[in-house]
Amino acid sequence: MSDTIADIRGFARGTARRPLLALGVLLVLAVPFLFPSQSDLATEALIFGLFAISVDIALGYAGLLTLAPAAFFGLGSYTVAKIVVDYDMSFWLGFPVAIVLALLLAFAVGYIPIKRRIGHVYFVLFTLAFGAIVYDFTFVTTSLTGGSDGLGFFSPPDLFGIDLGAQTPYYYFTLLLVAVVGFGTYVLIKSDYGDVLHATRQNELRMRYLGYDTNRELMIAWLISAGISAFAGAMYVGSVGIASPSDVSFALTGDVIIWIIVGGTGTLLGPFAAAIGLVFTQEILQSVWLEGYRMLLGILFVVFVFVLPDGLMGLIRGDE
Amino acid sequence: MYEIPLITADNFITYALNGLSRGMIIFLVASGLSLIFGLIGLINFAHGSMLALGGYGTYIVIQATGNFWLGLIVSVVLVTLLGFALERKLLYWIYDEPLLGFLGTFGIGLVIEEAIAVYFGSRSYTVSSPLPESVQVLGVSYPSYRLFVILVGALVALGIGALLTKTRLGLEIHATANRQSTAEILGVDTARIYTITFVLGTGLAALAGALTAPITSMYPTIGLDYITMAFLVIIVGGMGSFKGSLVVSLIVGQIIAFGWLVLAPTYVRILIFAAAMVFILYKPRGFFGKPEVHE
Repeated sequence: MSDTIADIRGFARGTARRPLLALGVLLVLAVPFLFPSQSDLATEALIFGLFAISVDIALGYAGLLTLAPAAFFGLGSYTVAKIVVDYDMSFWLGFPVAIVLALLLAFAVGYIPIKRRIGHVYFVLFTLAFGAIVYDFTFVTTSLTGGSDGLGFFSPPDLFGIDLGAQTPYYYFTLLLVAVVGFGTYVLIKSDYGDVLHATRQNELRMRYLGYDTNRELMIAWLISAGISAFAGAMYVGSVGIASPSDVSFALTGDVIIWIIVGGTGTLLGPFAAAIGLVFTQEILQSVWLEGYRMLLGILFVVFVFVLPDGLMGLIRGDE
Repeated sequence: MYEIPLITADNFITYALNGLSRGMIIFLVASGLSLIFGLIGLINFAHGSMLALGGYGTYIVIQATGNFWLGLIVSVVLVTLLGFALERKLLYWIYDEPLLGFLGTFGIGLVIEEAIAVYFGSRSYTVSSPLPESVQVLGVSYPSYRLFVILVGALVALGIGALLTKTRLGLEIHATANRQSTAEILGVDTARIYTITFVLGTGLAALAGALTAPITSMYPTIGLDYITMAFLVIIVGGMGSFKGSLVVSLIVGQIIAFGWLVLAPTYVRILIFAAAMVFILYKPRGFFGKPEVHE
């Protein structure tokens, strides 16, 4: 058994690494041709993959377990929907506005908790309350958010004469943006800043003695996480055409936490792959056993927490 | 902007009693959470699903036998046993890791909620009140079942308060919460204390679920709504403070009962959550909290 795992591990890390990566890229590029009817689903999977990456920056690299990622995701989708549906302005304006709003909100919410160093447990409860407020707020401010009806419907505009409202163009559009932002995140984490974050998690006191303002480092990670979450939300609303309360729901927060743990915290690629894999698994399982899907997902999650807390990437990398 | 509607003295008493019964249910949930958090340091996210199991268990027994009281007892006993098994077999392993503890109980809660949703569907269920008649209280006619809930809450508060302050077990719980290793050296079986506390807390959640069944409708994620509120109650009251969770639960019950006169219920919830966020930042030990389990 362990031999097999070691074999797979060696295979995935060694000779097969580049071919596997190339195969993955080809597969992602070919989705609209191989599975034309599944383009929408693939778009959704990519967006959720990016969302998982954004939350992994906060949880896996800065050690901030947040129960409010859906608040920022929803802020992104509602901002774009609001600008297009109610203000009748450009879809493209929605993206920068969504990101700026998310950064402002994240700064306002995160400043005091990070500065005061409330413990993990308190941070979890603090963000739980914040997420609950945002969710309730979405329901009651009917004039602003449309209440339980949400804000819809619209489709993205043309870009260079290509209709982004169609499935396949929007898939490639999403793929391009997810690739750029995802790669940017990877570069950032591999940079000196990533090392500083890593070292801060290992021994914060020492980093402070070395002259690093660790509060600032954590705050930057928290802001980047919120900004990318909102960006993912903005892309999501372009795909589904409506911003609804499910975008800010606790269920979505639960999903993203599951993707991260199953994929492996602090690995970026793991949560990304797990999100995509589980979105497709969900689609397949839903056709087989609609009611039970989330229960099976929960069982999978519990197994990972208790048996493989390092996730799939931890399994592949082994104990390094 | 809002006008405060005029309320008569009768209405006032009815609202106050509604708030009291509501507060008692929140107290049953919050005190169990608070005990588990105060002693073990575990954010028990599965607590809400135990409440849901208590409610749905009662419903099943009522369907089979028609007897609410039997349902209440059976479901509380069964859920308590489930809590015992969970603690011994799973949670025991992750007490040292607060984040894993949260994630593990979050997963367990999710599985239980979804299992309920698979079995019952997502529609809501109601249970008819076992004490349908009303009695005269302070000049108003009030449902006797809600008075029964208030009575049970008061008895539990007295009983657990006495357990924590007057008995050997209470002493050992305090000792374990304060200095686990010292307690161990002095001969306290701390693993047993952990188990007892967890099981007791779970039993209280199941009791809350069974008691709330005839008052509110049940749906699979009912637990999530209750524990979000309960977590914030124990923050304001002081983590691990039994007295704190009682006082703040009753206050929150009254705020919910009277708050809707001036604000929509959801705004009342938002205000309570916002208050809890301020407490986390500036007064994380709440009103009554000491870094130990406190009466």
